[in-house]
Amino acid sequence: MSEAPQTAPTQPDAQPDVQPEAAPDVQPAAAPPDAAQLESPVELDTAVPPVEALVDCPVCGTATAAGEAFCESCGADLGRGTPLAEDAPDPEAAPIELTARSAPAGPARAPGVLVVVPDLDGRAATCASCGGTVAADGYCEQCGTPAPRPRDHFVEQPAPWMGAVCDRGRRHARNEDAMAVAARAEPGSWAAVVVCDGVSSAPESDVASLAASRAARDVLSAPESVPPITADELLTRAAAAANDAATRVAVGVKGPNPPSCTFVAALVESGRAVVAWIGDSRAYWFPDGGTPVQVSTDDSWAAEAMAHGLSREEAEKLPQAHAITRWLGADSPEGPPRTVTVDVSAPGWLLVCSDGLWNYCSAPEDLGALLTATQARVGAEPVALAEALTTWANEQGGHDNITTALVRCG
Amino acid sequence: MADFAAEIYQNEFLPDGGTDVHAIVSVTCTGAGAAGAAEGDEAAEIIIVDTSGSMAGDKIVAAQRAAAVAVDQILDGTWFAVIAGTDGADRAFPYPNAVSPMVRMEPGARAAARQAVSRLVAGGGTAIGSWLRLATQLFQTVPQATQRHAILLTDGKNQSETDEALQAGIRQAKGVFQCDCRGVGADWDVSELRGVATALLGTVDLIPDTASMEQAFADLMQQAMGRGVADAQLRVWAPQGAQVLFVRQVSPQVEDLSARRTDLNPLTGAYPTGAWGDETRDYHVAVRLASKPLGSEQLAARVMVAVRDEVKSQALVKALWSADDTLTTRINPAVAHYTGQAELAEVIQEGLAAKAAGDEATATTKLGRAVQLAEATGNDEATSRLRKVVDIDDPATGTVRLKRGVDKLDEMALDTSSTKTTRVKK
Repeated sequence: MSEAPQTAPTQPDAQPDVQPEAAPDVQPAAAPPDAAQLESPVELDTAVPPVEALVDCPVCGTATAAGEAFCESCGADLGRGTPLAEDAPDPEAAPIELTARSAPAGPARAPGVLVVVPDLDGRAATCASCGGTVAADGYCEQCGTPAPRPRDHFVEQPAPWMGAVCDRGRRHARNEDAMAVAARAEPGSWAAVVVCDGVSSAPESDVASLAASRAARDVLSAPESVPPITADELLTRAAAAANDAATRVAVGVKGPNPPSCTFVAALVESGRAVVAWIGDSRAYWFPDGGTPVQVSTDDSWAAEAMAHGLSREEAEKLPQAHAITRWLGADSPEGPPRTVTVDVSAPGWLLVCSDGLWNYCSAPEDLGALLTATQARVGAEPVALAEALTTWANEQGGHDNITTALVRCG
Repeated sequence: MADFAAEIYQNEFLPDGGTDVHAIVSVTCTGAGAAGAAEGDEAAEIIIVDTSGSMAGDKIVAAQRAAAVAVDQILDGTWFAVIAGTDGADRAFPYPNAVSPMVRMEPGARAAARQAVSRLVAGGGTAIGSWLRLATQLFQTVPQATQRHAILLTDGKNQSETDEALQAGIRQAKGVFQCDCRGVGADWDVSELRGVATALLGTVDLIPDTASMEQAFADLMQQAMGRGVADAQLRVWAPQGAQVLFVRQVSPQVEDLSARRTDLNPLTGAYPTGAWGDETRDYHVAVRLASKPLGSEQLAARVMVAVRDEVKSQALVKALWSADDTLTTRINPAVAHYTGQAELAEVIQEGLAAKAAGDEATATTKLGRAVQLAEATGNDEATSRLRKVVDIDDPATGTVRLKRGVDKLDEMALDTSSTKTTRVKK
């Protein structure tokens, strides 16, 4: 949860224990052959459909349709969560259509850059709880469960070497987290990941976070600019675009707190990742078998307390630990994001996430151990792994919205 | 064309483990028009006048005048008849030798009916069940009339037939017509007549003296003629596994509708509410759900208003389980108000019944509680009626003493008006 923004001095010099480099040029390289065949950038505006499979109810033995969380016959919990939560994405869903459709009138993208834009409006037609029909009022005709809103749980996987999951969690009424990603098809070649966490004490923050993350992604995936700019500059532009988008949401919204959100973006290219952030959403680097690293440093009271010598444990117990000192939105403090470059040439995972995940596992070594253990259980498919980490956070209480974005590097 | 709007007043937040959801549904009808005026609608009215021996003297004269005034209020085109009730029932108009059992109102019929009621004579007993049976038969001769309503006037107890005969008459009439009942004087039985009115979706009230009869009849008939919606149905959907604890009308009168339920489908019950004019009625709906984990949301009920099987309005009762005590402990003011008003009606009736049975201790406790509730819910009318039956020492604690030598009419007025509620201040 990102609490009400607190105006406080920021610490632009605080750096994580990764080596800051001079800003490298990470302009997207030439597109890989298969993606390059695309005439134009392509966007899929469909959610990933669930896998069609029949499973017998463990309690009564009745065959149940995929996507149902509860047995229609006896009501037993099938342990699937919401349909999109546990089902692996249909491997045929994303890339196949890429050649079939031309891009709608959307933002221009660099050649070969793949983007999936899920439709997050409206509600499902079938009840996730009992399989009944959802009435026009948005609730199941049979059991009264509100139909899942696509905004409450969505997945983006433009290329198989990365996967991102955004989830409402268990305690919040809305999913105010948002994310937007883009990638080239060839593993490790180029990827952009943006995560924004809406401030729950401000209205419409779910709208602001989605607008901000997509605006930033669109800047990061735009055609190469002439003259070329550095990755740091590009990320700064992306943050500014995100801030503009969040600020525009504030128009017409009443109340003392305009819609606000955090911002973290990672630009991965050829063994290097540049991370930019404003607020307390984070990036971590987990090299296989190496030392886990927290790449970003929160703009928060807790981080400042740590900079003043408190241990992570002590700092995160402070009453205002989660109050962020910088954010995006109409009333945001001025200034570019802080950026850090990290070498991701070794095999490993780059994780970009919101506090809905790291709240339960903040220290990089703990989160790294969780990642390793989870991968041993569910495998290395990025969406499956991101879903499993998200499910884990829900099992810890799901007190906040959870965003988990993984990029396989090396 | 009548429009219905349904609004919900509730606290949707439930604590961990909470199961019961309470909501007030406020239903407002506008554009109802006049009875029988809508296309395809015809209305029918029957005036039932007690002409037993006890009505002799001033009362029968007043009843003649009151019936004539009611006849005047019946709109042209409305099917109508007048029944004279004794230990049997006679059709006073159309005359017994007339061919058609009911006629349509027009100036000639009005003049003839006025003459017929001026000839009503008192004599004989009281058998309300037989009156209802005749009215049922007459209404059944005009099946084209979708809106059927009767006014029943009596001055005495149902002495000339068994209670079984009365109950049988009520059962036959149920669903055929609506009936508003009025008792004149102090010799009739409030709970007996309330039984008739409740079953037939009508009201019961006291006409304290013969002088008030004309006005009471004029008001009743005017109200009936202003109801252009023949029959509206309240429908309550509750999710699978849930239990509808009760559906209760709470304004303008308290009336438990739970027993009137018929199942439309396994999850939806229909409750008849009779004819509607331009008016607002409030309902208290209570549903028991299986508890869900904190953070879950569930629809607890869909409350619909349907006319001729067409849903005119729908409102949603929701449940949200929350760990936040400041949300879950809040009681919705409308729910609190009407819960108090419903209890007020109950304790007044129980207190008066205990008093009639000679149980003064129970009567004092119940009527004391009534004073307390009337005070708390701002029902000044109830408080002033209670004052005629008890001496109030402290309204806040409900400390009262039973009055000696209470006028029977004051007790009856308190009883008949016990179900009338004040609307919640919004």
